[in-house]
Amino acid sequence: MIELSGIRKAFNQGRENEFWALQGIDLKIPAQQVTVFYGPSGSGKTTLLTVVGCLARPTVGRVTLKGTDISGLPERFLTGIRRRTFGFIFQQFHLIRGLSALDNVMLPAYPIGGDWRVLRARAEALLDQLKLGHRRAARVEWLSGGEQQRVAIARALINDPEVVVADEPTANLDSALSKEFLGILETLAGQGRSILLTSHDPMVVESSVVQRVITLRDGRIVGDA
Amino acid sequence: MFFQPAIIALLFASAANVVVLVGVSPFAVAIVRHWDVHSGSERQLRLERRTYLMSALVTFVLGVQLVALLLFVFNADRMAAMFVGAMCAVGTLNVNAYGFPALIAQMAVFFAAATWLAVNHVDTQAPDYPLVRTKYVWLLVLAPLLIAAFALQWRYFLGLKADVITSCCSRLFSSQVRGLSGDLSAWPPLPAMIAFYASLGVATITAAFVAAKQRGGYALAIASLGAFVMALAGIIAFLSLYVYEQPHHHCPFCLLKAEYGYVGYWLYVPLFLATASGLAAGAVQRFATVPSLRAIVPATCGRLARVAAVGFAIVAIVATVIVLRSHLILIGHVSTGVTP
Repeated sequence: MIELSGIRKAFNQGRENEFWALQGIDLKIPAQQVTVFYGPSGSGKTTLLTVVGCLARPTVGRVTLKGTDISGLPERFLTGIRRRTFGFIFQQFHLIRGLSALDNVMLPAYPIGGDWRVLRARAEALLDQLKLGHRRAARVEWLSGGEQQRVAIARALINDPEVVVADEPTANLDSALSKEFLGILETLAGQGRSILLTSHDPMVVESSVVQRVITLRDGRIVGDA
Repeated sequence: MFFQPAIIALLFASAANVVVLVGVSPFAVAIVRHWDVHSGSERQLRLERRTYLMSALVTFVLGVQLVALLLFVFNADRMAAMFVGAMCAVGTLNVNAYGFPALIAQMAVFFAAATWLAVNHVDTQAPDYPLVRTKYVWLLVLAPLLIAAFALQWRYFLGLKADVITSCCSRLFSSQVRGLSGDLSAWPPLPAMIAFYASLGVATITAAFVAAKQRGGYALAIASLGAFVMALAGIIAFLSLYVYEQPHHHCPFCLLKAEYGYVGYWLYVPLFLATASGLAAGAVQRFATVPSLRAIVPATCGRLARVAAVGFAIVAIVATVIVLRSHLILIGHVSTGVTP
């Protein structure tokens, strides 16, 4: 489904502090699989995730989604693919303070359009599925860390993406909440979604939900199991 | 003389055009030489990223050129009061040898810019950059024209001297004068009127057809060009006479003056817009078979054709209103041989 060929990514290219975060990644990620990019800090796993999720463009190489090159797409088309194909769960959640949980969940669907009442019902259903229905009207800054993450998950799912991308999803969670997150992950995988995670948390990597672990070091793939 | 706001604006716009063009040229050459959308090389990806900025810059300066033509003509008319002997823009443009060449170059830039902008618009609608190389080759081909337009404007505006006694439009647009303007002034009104309405009619019908069927861009381009030429000829040959209500005053520039209700703008603005749209439709039609543009080109052609149809129709309607409201009975006099 997603194929990366010869991906290299540089930061501050041409400057004194030039840094190559990815140094030649060739990878095929089939659909409906839970894949984890595993590695220490600075190994390039988050950069790789952003390249796959169209949040960053590679410096060299191509990314294809179902055979279509998405790394070279003009920005206007890339935005559409990002909205409809990928759902993002960020490490710091990036929820909009001052808005309710429900409003945060509905936000990514506004640019796509559609009936507001249908959208609201979908957002409420997602919050209910994640056992957060009773907190829908609460401002996100009033929620606990675990609740905030569930809002972030609901927001990632609002456009019904084929691929859910999560960057270090358990980094800010204790063991109980991490276990809860893995349970949610299992549900998402059961719905036939592809899931891509970065993590250096052994609990995630060793989870039975995860089907594939790609180990990165210094911007290169050093293990694929 | 040089430090007129309009002159500074025009020169600034034209200079910006040249500066951007010179700046973009190495990029355009790199696109022509190295563009390969199937490659994932660092150079190709850099070209893809930079093409947004370059296209945006060129779009801006060429967009400004569309307005610059209007300002050029308006300024030429407004400055007539500063020159001895000048009654309208013709006098201003005749102050030195570069006036009319500068106007013609500005008109050429207007149409060239319109067609490039249309091709660029179509290209940006597709996800695979189908016309990148074409539009940058085109830009390199247009470079001499754009530079020449700036050079002519520079020489023209720099050569404007208030102590020059210039000639008024009656010396240029008269049946007694040899050359194109004289020939057009001597063209009998009736055949000129028939040619004027026939060409506008053909262009409007063709544009309406293209708008409805979303094909036939080439035919529209040819019809638009024909209508443009015949409309200008008709304005000189007969329409101006109806406006001025004088059988010998053929000037197409006096129409822009306040005493004639700025009627020239009602004729020229839709005429130029319609012609540019028609030519642009023809330019994009060429790419109708590009796989990623199969749906985009017909839709764009259709939109451009609608603009062309409305523009040509407005010209015809305005011309008809002028003829009907005029106190001059030109055709009747022609038939009895009274008109010179």
